[in-house]
Amino acid sequence: MMKRFFVVAAIVAAALTAAIPGALARPAADPGVSSRSITIGTTLPLSGPASLYARIGTGMRTYFSYINARRARDGKRGVYGRQIVLKIYDDQYSEAQTVQQTRRAVEQDRVFAMLGGLGTENQQAVRAYMNQRRVPQLYVSTGLSEFGRTHRQFPWTIGWQPDYVQEGILLGRYVRQNLPNAKVAVLRQNDDYGKEFVEGFVKGAGQRFIAATETYPRNGGATVIPGPVARLRASGADTFLVVATPTESITALVVAYRLGWRPNKLVNSVGATRQFMAAAQASAGSAEAVNGVVTTTYLKDVASPRYARDAQVRLYKRLMDKYAPSQNAEDQLFFYGMAKADTFVQALYRAGRNPSRASLMNAARNLKMRSAWLLPGARIQTSRASAFPIRHQRLTRYNNGSFTEFGSLVKTR
Amino acid sequence: MRIALRVVGYGLLAAAIVLLPFTLGEFRVTQFTYVGVFAIALMGLSILTGITGQISLGHGGFMAVGAYVTAILSVNHDVPDLLTIPLGGLVAGVVGFLFGFPALRLAGVYLALATFALAVIVPSVASAAGSFTGGTAGILLDLPTSPIGRLTPDKWLYFVTWGIAAALFVLALIFLRGKRGRALRAVRESELAAVSSGISLANYKTLAFGVSAFYAGIAGSLYAILNFIVTPGTFPVTLSILLLAGLVIGGAGSLLGVLAGAAFVEFLPLYAGDVLRPVINAGQRLGFPVNDVDPTTPGVPSVVYGAILLIVLIAMPNGAAGLVRRVGALTKQVYSRQNPSESRVTP
Repeated sequence: MMKRFFVVAAIVAAALTAAIPGALARPAADPGVSSRSITIGTTLPLSGPASLYARIGTGMRTYFSYINARRARDGKRGVYGRQIVLKIYDDQYSEAQTVQQTRRAVEQDRVFAMLGGLGTENQQAVRAYMNQRRVPQLYVSTGLSEFGRTHRQFPWTIGWQPDYVQEGILLGRYVRQNLPNAKVAVLRQNDDYGKEFVEGFVKGAGQRFIAATETYPRNGGATVIPGPVARLRASGADTFLVVATPTESITALVVAYRLGWRPNKLVNSVGATRQFMAAAQASAGSAEAVNGVVTTTYLKDVASPRYARDAQVRLYKRLMDKYAPSQNAEDQLFFYGMAKADTFVQALYRAGRNPSRASLMNAARNLKMRSAWLLPGARIQTSRASAFPIRHQRLTRYNNGSFTEFGSLVKTR
Repeated sequence: MRIALRVVGYGLLAAAIVLLPFTLGEFRVTQFTYVGVFAIALMGLSILTGITGQISLGHGGFMAVGAYVTAILSVNHDVPDLLTIPLGGLVAGVVGFLFGFPALRLAGVYLALATFALAVIVPSVASAAGSFTGGTAGILLDLPTSPIGRLTPDKWLYFVTWGIAAALFVLALIFLRGKRGRALRAVRESELAAVSSGISLANYKTLAFGVSAFYAGIAGSLYAILNFIVTPGTFPVTLSILLLAGLVIGGAGSLLGVLAGAAFVEFLPLYAGDVLRPVINAGQRLGFPVNDVDPTTPGVPSVVYGAILLIVLIAMPNGAAGLVRRVGALTKQVYSRQNPSESRVTP
């Protein structure tokens, strides 16, 4: 017994000390960049209730495959001849995992930057760390306005999409102007994201419109939704505002329909792509469950006939056919990922032939360009004073299988 | 001779643990710090489940208690974070002790369900408690710093964690010695026999729950400092299940088993998805139609994770420690076949 213990202990000791990985890697000034490649990372939920968002990673990776294969104007493939390698880490939408996976990316896999990490709390959890390490935390996949507002305190962090406050304001204004007697029932996630969206909505509409509010726990999945929706229905409201992530927003629409509630429906953009609407319709067994849903948009809609001949949407479809043929190219999340990847590529070009983390961040913070991925007329614009890359939005309404934009293009910040 | 070997064995293990951070990259150091944290939690679980025979699916809940104590004290009341560690353990210990009373009436599946409820309730209470616990957004701690200039924060936390783990290990050995240890084991083997021998079930079960939760609370405090964030989502129900799985896989009631189990708890969730790539490559080489499987497809990591868990349990029904014992028995067999005189000595 003792002898065996000794043997095992010796083996363990030998094995542990023999393992000498990354420690001896060269101390380069900026990790992740070689003459041939640039390695970046992202954290997304590949498992768990929020895993529908994993498609964003596929979209980004698909676009990088294209950039790596095509010849740019300088005759080189990739960006200035460097291939872009995207590593995707599964954080299960749990902050504890986000911290560990981000540290793994930065410290062990030595990524140049993180791109499009998803989740409000998840990205808040690693923000101090990324800034202490001076690693770009680019284009986080959350609309919390804090990521744009705190750019002085956290200069290595930047968001991308229009923030929730602005989205809320737009929907709020819509209600005030078009449904002046509405009684709004709010279902929101019980975190900063949900809170901030509703604050924007109240700013745009006015407090008097809110008839009832229910919250559901973050990462709760479908089961936490029916109770709150039933209570909201009982409140007698005639308008239903859903501020929720995909699984929850789909469930909310389905449950409302099954309960025989037929309110005006407003859904935040993160929970309202055509794909999610179709899923809700299939689950409810009726188009009535989703017809008339109003949401906001800032990207071209890949499934809309309006953009069927649009050059960028056609490029997108071609890339999906070529690099991700098994995926459903009509899912807007892939397009979102590609559009974001393109913003990164443009920033990387502007960071110079030999990019450093600082030059990349500088480029991302001073980016002024047209982007064919956005709605016609919209621009990406950041400056010293403002760190909100996308600010143009429009209202859009779902009916029988597709969204139709209406109203004018609004710049809300 | 035996004692000498054991001392040398522990010495080697200790030396390996001390030298380890100087041979690894910084992230690996942090990972092995997490292993130390889970080892502490598993020591506690081992006292409760392995020694006393009381199942717990709620140790993630006790860890959460310790973590919140650390987060609230260090962020809202400026207590140095290292000082909050024993407090986290004590508060969790008291909670565990109190939880021991209702647990007295329960056994088997019912106890599992009751403890499971704890794992579900603690995060929910934390998210409902608003400003006190930071709600769902939780509490962000300061990034760890090192008081010793020569040690990076990663290495500093590594030594703090493993130092505490070593101390708690010795404490567990002392706790389980003599009459008390025998009484706890007696409770596991047969409650009826234990009671007839004059052992108070109430005393020993609540004691085991308290001590076990104390360990989990310490682990939770360290986890909070390491992760620099505490949210309800940091302690999902799956963590509690994973801890129990780690204990089973490591083999309840042995130090090496606890270390193996802790490594399992730390590494499997992070790498479950990555395991698939080489498997797919191997499959393609053998001509199986596996081209379409993308390891980053949603759900795939969970499936791999579950598969690994099953394989490990089938291959090692008595845990890693049991496997070592089995391999040991095998070498002994071979050895005694070569030296027949030896076999006669063994009964």
